[in-house]
Amino acid sequence: MRKFLLASVLTALLVLPSASAAAEPPLSDAHLNKIRLNCVEVQSSLTQLHASDALLRVNRGQLFESISTKLMAPFNSRVALNKLDGSGLLGTTVEYERALSSFRNDYKSYEEDLAAALAIDCQAKPAEFYHLINSARRGRELVHGDVLALQKYIKQYSAQFEELAATVEEVDR
Amino acid sequence: MNEHQLKAEAADMSRYEKHKFLIMVALTIVISLVMVGFALHIYATSGAEQLDLSRPGYQSVRQQVSKKDQFDRYPSAGPIDSESLNLFRNLYNEQAKRAMVDSFGGDVLSDAALGLEAPVAQP
Repeated sequence: MRKFLLASVLTALLVLPSASAAAEPPLSDAHLNKIRLNCVEVQSSLTQLHASDALLRVNRGQLFESISTKLMAPFNSRVALNKLDGSGLLGTTVEYERALSSFRNDYKSYEEDLAAALAIDCQAKPAEFYHLINSARRGRELVHGDVLALQKYIKQYSAQFEELAATVEEVDR
Repeated sequence: MNEHQLKAEAADMSRYEKHKFLIMVALTIVISLVMVGFALHIYATSGAEQLDLSRPGYQSVRQQVSKKDQFDRYPSAGPIDSESLNLFRNLYNEQAKRAMVDSFGGDVLSDAALGLEAPVAQP
């Protein structure tokens, strides 16, 4: 029984790392040749994308960060200090922070994959180059998803703020 | 203390005492290298590297970093009345509008965009 367990664990350890590679179908010779032929040009386009995405990351990240630290957090504090019910706003802020954290992590992974695709000798290793691009593509989709989530929470916070404002203004009247 | 006494004292010194200065210099270099390595590790793993546009290859975009995000922080203390609500509304809507721009979308890494589609097999 112990031997069987040990064998199962060893088999799992050997199979698991190759499982992700096996998920992508092997490339045909013609496809590999095409990658080899075009890859230098592709790397040049990727270099530009790498730089423009870094700028986008800095500018967007700065804005998303500022919305949280300079607007949401101080407004939540003010609501709490005035003993108003800000639980909805607080919940949205927490979700927003979580999405912001995913945005940071997903961008980091995406950038690492893209940088690896730029650094690799694509003519010598076309298959690895192609897999790195696939990985970067999936990473970029995740980053895009994070941006959409952040935008959703920004809208949600705005709607909750308007609800609170309506209540306060009604009481003032 | 004459020369003879100095020589006798030097002969009595242990190996460690004789090379104390060199050991100190070597240790200083080793400690500096360890600290630089640790700092680089933090730089690479924390995500700071991705935000560092002073790296080579980013000259073209360095000047385009937005300065518009440096807006005033909304005051966290004070009453909540129409005036403070309007102030928040204006600040928030302005930034929210800027945040609604589509980013990292599109299909720039698709096989078609990069010209890496699999060739169609000839019958």
